Amino acid sequence: MAKTNHKENNHKPPLPGDYEGLQGNLKKVSLNTAIISAIFAVVISTLLLLNYLQLAKNDPTESTTLTALTQRLADDPGNEELKEEIRAFDLMARKAFFTAKWQVKTAGWLLLICGIVLVVSLRYYFSLRSKIDLPENSQVSEQAQRILSSKWILYSGSALIIIALIASYFSVDQLKGYDIETFSENTIDESIEVIDLTNEGQTNDSGLIENEIEEPLEGSVTEPEATITTDNLQGGSQQKPVDNRSDLLLIEQQKKQSNSFRGPLGQGVFYVNNISVKWDVNSGENIKWKVEIPLSGYNSPIIWNDKLFLTGANSTERWVYCFDKKNGKLLWKHQANNIAGSPATPPKTTDDTGLAAPSVVTDGNYVVAIFGTGDVVCLNMDGKRIWAKNLGVPDNHYGHSSSLVAWKEKVFVQYDTNKGGRMLALHFQTGEILWDVSRANHISWASPILAEIDGKMQIVTSSEPSVAGHDIETGKQLWKVDCMMGEVGPSPAFANGLVFAANEYATLAAIDPEKGKIVWEDNYYLPEVASPVAADGLLYIATTYGILACYDVHTGNKYWEADYGEGFYSSPVMADGKLFAIDMNGVVHIVKADRELQKMGDIPMGEKVMTTPAFTDGCIFVRGNKNLYCIGK
Amino acid sequence: MISQLITYIYFFLIQIFPALGGEMGGILAQQQRFPKPEFETGYTQPSPTTPEPRLTAWEYIDVSVLVLVMSLAAWFALKRRSRKGLLWLSVFSLVYFGFIREGCVCSVGSIQNIALTLFDPAYAISIPIILFFTLPLLFTLFFGRVFCASACPLGVIQDLVIIKPLKLPQWLRKTLGLIPYIYLGLAVLLAATSSEFIICRYDPFVGIFRMGAEFSMIILGIAFLLLGMFVARPYCRFLCPYGVLLGWMSKFSRFHLNITPSQCIQCKLCEQSCPFDAIDKPSEKLSVENKKLNKRRFSIFLLLIPVWIILGGFSMSKVHSFLSKAHPDVYLAELLIEHPELKDDPENIDIQTFLSSGKTMEHLVEEAKLVKQKYFTGSWILGCFLGLAIGVLLMNQYVLRRRKDYTPNKVDCYSCGRCMDYCPVRPTSNLRKMAEGESATAKNEKGISEKTN
Repeated sequence: MAKTNHKENNHKPPLPGDYEGLQGNLKKVSLNTAIISAIFAVVISTLLLLNYLQLAKNDPTESTTLTALTQRLADDPGNEELKEEIRAFDLMARKAFFTAKWQVKTAGWLLLICGIVLVVSLRYYFSLRSKIDLPENSQVSEQAQRILSSKWILYSGSALIIIALIASYFSVDQLKGYDIETFSENTIDESIEVIDLTNEGQTNDSGLIENEIEEPLEGSVTEPEATITTDNLQGGSQQKPVDNRSDLLLIEQQKKQSNSFRGPLGQGVFYVNNISVKWDVNSGENIKWKVEIPLSGYNSPIIWNDKLFLTGANSTERWVYCFDKKNGKLLWKHQANNIAGSPATPPKTTDDTGLAAPSVVTDGNYVVAIFGTGDVVCLNMDGKRIWAKNLGVPDNHYGHSSSLVAWKEKVFVQYDTNKGGRMLALHFQTGEILWDVSRANHISWASPILAEIDGKMQIVTSSEPSVAGHDIETGKQLWKVDCMMGEVGPSPAFANGLVFAANEYATLAAIDPEKGKIVWEDNYYLPEVASPVAADGLLYIATTYGILACYDVHTGNKYWEADYGEGFYSSPVMADGKLFAIDMNGVVHIVKADRELQKMGDIPMGEKVMTTPAFTDGCIFVRGNKNLYCIGK
Repeated sequence: MISQLITYIYFFLIQIFPALGGEMGGILAQQQRFPKPEFETGYTQPSPTTPEPRLTAWEYIDVSVLVLVMSLAAWFALKRRSRKGLLWLSVFSLVYFGFIREGCVCSVGSIQNIALTLFDPAYAISIPIILFFTLPLLFTLFFGRVFCASACPLGVIQDLVIIKPLKLPQWLRKTLGLIPYIYLGLAVLLAATSSEFIICRYDPFVGIFRMGAEFSMIILGIAFLLLGMFVARPYCRFLCPYGVLLGWMSKFSRFHLNITPSQCIQCKLCEQSCPFDAIDKPSEKLSVENKKLNKRRFSIFLLLIPVWIILGGFSMSKVHSFLSKAHPDVYLAELLIEHPELKDDPENIDIQTFLSSGKTMEHLVEEAKLVKQKYFTGSWILGCFLGLAIGVLLMNQYVLRRRKDYTPNKVDCYSCGRCMDYCPVRPTSNLRKMAEGESATAKNEKGISEKTN
């Protein structure tokens, strides 16, 4: 047996009599110390184990009684006695939890001390006992040991290979058997809102998404009079079947949110139900909350689950705000400062544009904002900055106003300035520029939209001189139609496989993006700022001189027009089978989405509104010049 | 305090290897779900604060301490030949690198950081981690495994609990010696594919250093220490992946610890002194027949090395799919495909996080497939490496080295200095001094008698 600690304790030469006696006593003391500390260690370990088992069995953090009591309180919220009972029980549970924690901590330290004492005393004991072992009188020759070792290595190596091969036989590659259709059937929430206007705009929840996946296009529009389903997002009803099902699933998720300017994919159509058409800001009827916005800006509310995002700016500061959608409380704000390349003095802008005109975009994990300085900042949902960069100060005589859109991991920026046209894709998480393409376009103020064309998602832009589609992955221009002129402000619209673009002094054009040709044109009513919106075979235009007009998407035939007297900067949007258009005086005009004009209400917000409302969960979110409103029952 | 520690450790680990979330998430989730009264009490919940990261200056102080400890260890082992010095130095390292620095960053785990940074350009490695990885290797190349002797907290905690070490047969040591190669290969594969840092995850002593960890990890740590009383340094010898690299370096070390300071007198006193069985005896004389046999076997195993490499690569490539489950994307994708009903389980944090992330299932599956492809290549390389290790180990059994004296095995020796204490031979300079008073032989005899008593 090897003796290892022989010299560590400074052995002295043999000593006679009393010293040997002392050594004997030390041996006894060290042995007894070792035994006692070992017993202590075992006792403490046992107590620790019992504590662990007890916690595992009766975890105070998982108290069923407390859960039951809180459930009772939910039914009877005014019960003060019950509240006291919960408080007392909660306190007890906390005490139990923290006492257990204290016990574990204390026992841990005691165990460590016992361990040290045990090891030291044992080492000392064995060092006192140690004597030199005789050299091993091994009978096994070195050669025999080599052979034996090699045999065992051989066996082990072979066993390793055999085990690997057996394991491969039993391991199943689930990915090989993956079938999106099976998964979709199992995962798509049956509560997904699909607005069906089959019965004259009445919503119908029976149109489940499975049907749309299996038969995405069947029964869709073949002529203007036919029944129509509101779903611009899936490539339009006359287009090829949507073959990219991951896109479909993402679209379904975005339908529940309002993640970019003018809703999902920026198309101006919101997939919601039960939107109020009656409210009164003065009396507070159907006004859930109203809060003042710290700094002004012409960007529109962007919503993901319970969070609503806005930006605001003045000549010295630029902020991103996050409000609680449920109560309007400002959850956090983040100042977009200290960004490399950001100009010390912001570029000059006009009062009707400012530095915070573009709306933010979010994917539920990150929110990206752009300002008139060219600063782009990405925050997480808690307002922590992930990255920030400056894209170069935009040379824009009014101020940059093009909002952001996003698809999967990419954020798209239409950056048309006096220096030329430019499109960029930034990585959501890192801010890395994935592509950056120049194009032969002039300055514009319109925002890009996303549209599924020919089975693939594209970025569609409107700018002088062309309306164009860009490839998501590379930014390459896939098609363009030269039909725009002047200072283009309205963003394009998309429905039934057609792209619609319009601008004052130019034209209103319906474009077939697959053929790159204009299907029809009209120039009677033309918008200057507000973007057109199209859905269910109908196209709506809101002009700066107060006209709201409705056209047939396929023929350009005008169904109706309404003169409201006050112009529109806010873009009209579709929600719950109705058209919502807010004029510059802040009056919300509600019209039934139909070929016949049916006014449903003209409701003043009490202040000027230049932004576009957002809709989620049965509520309307309107940003006035000063206040933010949540309208809903 | 312990719960806080667990939380910090959890968040630290979860940042490095997210797959941990599945296992440890339960404990943390319990704490996070701790029931609060669900009505207004007037109490304002304080907003949580993120602890400041450790100052960079401290990281460089750690590196300086490491260099200082290794330099001292080299001096104690090679120049002073002081076992006592090495012992107290190891106690210091245990306290500083173990309990104060809480066992992180350690050189053993830094292998994974290096692997990750080589394969993932997005991963930024800090200079102190690179130094923690390279400096011990550099020191070993010059002075032997002095890092293991006195600087590595994982090694010294085991070294200090050695009470009655058992002598293990050579075939067992050689066979178990294959495990570190497997562990090293797996750790590099999993780190390079951004899957997990298994060395950290299964570090048996970090729970002891931090006075808190998952119950099973504490049990594992205590079990290793109890085993270590009788099987010296079990983790170092039969698991430590960094030990493989240190062994390679030590084999070629320029100045290695010697048992005897001058001429070995073949007294055999040191023969049983090494608890790690790392002393090579003088080689026995082989018969002509055995020499021929050895040569033949050596040649056969040398020729078989390519076969082992191909076999290893092929067999490991077959399990790439199984191994890839360590990656969180593959794990999640396969879990959702196999159990789609789990999407409705609000308790499954992994799945709920995925569902709320906006990522589509197809996207996840595509990513998982890419990861599997990486694993296929990685498993081939891992298998070839293991095949090579097995082949070379087999061949090495028949490499004959002539030894006249008792010498430390450079690969296995931890430079702990125990054997030096058993050697009755004094350095030549000492002998000269002794000769002034009494004869060197008499001194040697006295030394022997001290040992014997």
